[in-house]
Amino acid sequence: MSIPAGFDELIHPATRLSVVALLAATEWADFAFVRDSLSLSDSALSKQLHTLEEAGYLEIHKEGGGRKRRTKVRLTGRGRAAFDGHVAALRAIVDGATAAQAGRAADGGPGTDATGAEPRQHHHAEAGR
Amino acid sequence: MSTPVDAEQAWNDLQRIRVPQERVYDEIERSASGGTGAAYATAAIMWVFLVGQGLDPPLWGVLLSLAVYVALLSAVAVICGRRSRMRLHHSRCNRRMSATLVAGALVTGGTTLLSGHLAEGLEPMAAGLIQATASTAAFLLFIGPARRWAADSVRVGGRAGR
Repeated sequence: MSIPAGFDELIHPATRLSVVALLAATEWADFAFVRDSLSLSDSALSKQLHTLEEAGYLEIHKEGGGRKRRTKVRLTGRGRAAFDGHVAALRAIVDGATAAQAGRAADGGPGTDATGAEPRQHHHAEAGR
Repeated sequence: MSTPVDAEQAWNDLQRIRVPQERVYDEIERSASGGTGAAYATAAIMWVFLVGQGLDPPLWGVLLSLAVYVALLSAVAVICGRRSRMRLHHSRCNRRMSATLVAGALVTGGTTLLSGHLAEGLEPMAAGLIQATASTAAFLLFIGPARRWAADSVRVGGRAGR
């Protein structure tokens, strides 16, 4: 099976995927909100954010100073497009496997499990966004 | 080149994406059910503005009070914006949220016009007080349930894969 178009190696690791998924639902998010939502340490999140920032997938803005200092994180257009493409690629992989499984079931081939594929396909529409 | 993930892992990744997005919807619901301070502040500013209008001020007075009213509402919006931890992406906003905004304006504006019409025969001060109190009460009664109703739709819309 070939890699579906849009599959993004940079946002594929679990933590980075979670960070980008959270930011995709927001215009911007506070660093603390991202950290708390994903149960990450400051350093772990900083590392992931800087990797994504270097790739141009997100922007980091620091506001205020002293105790009122806030760090806002925003997904760029490029990052949003990469995330959408990655989700589409994941869906294509799942759809491809489901279709192949259904095809084998229709042919009556060995090791088929048409009933197992059905609920996955049913829930697929809910996943990913 | 072979795909780096199999279907099982791709499916798990799709499920994993939902978890942080649910946290965003939780935050939206938390903001909608809490944050009554902004609603009370807006209502108080609106009450003072409407009472002032009930006194039949000259044109310059109307314009001045309108400018102060808008400035104060903007200040409330800015303070709320600073306190919030995130802002929902515009692509996640749905028709129900827009409908809530329009309905809020219609309910409050309608109450202002109706109460002003009903209190027309009274003295300006009494009419202004009745109009302001009725409008503010309508706003406060509407805003709480409406915000929760709109916030619920964000999660439903997100699950539907908008």
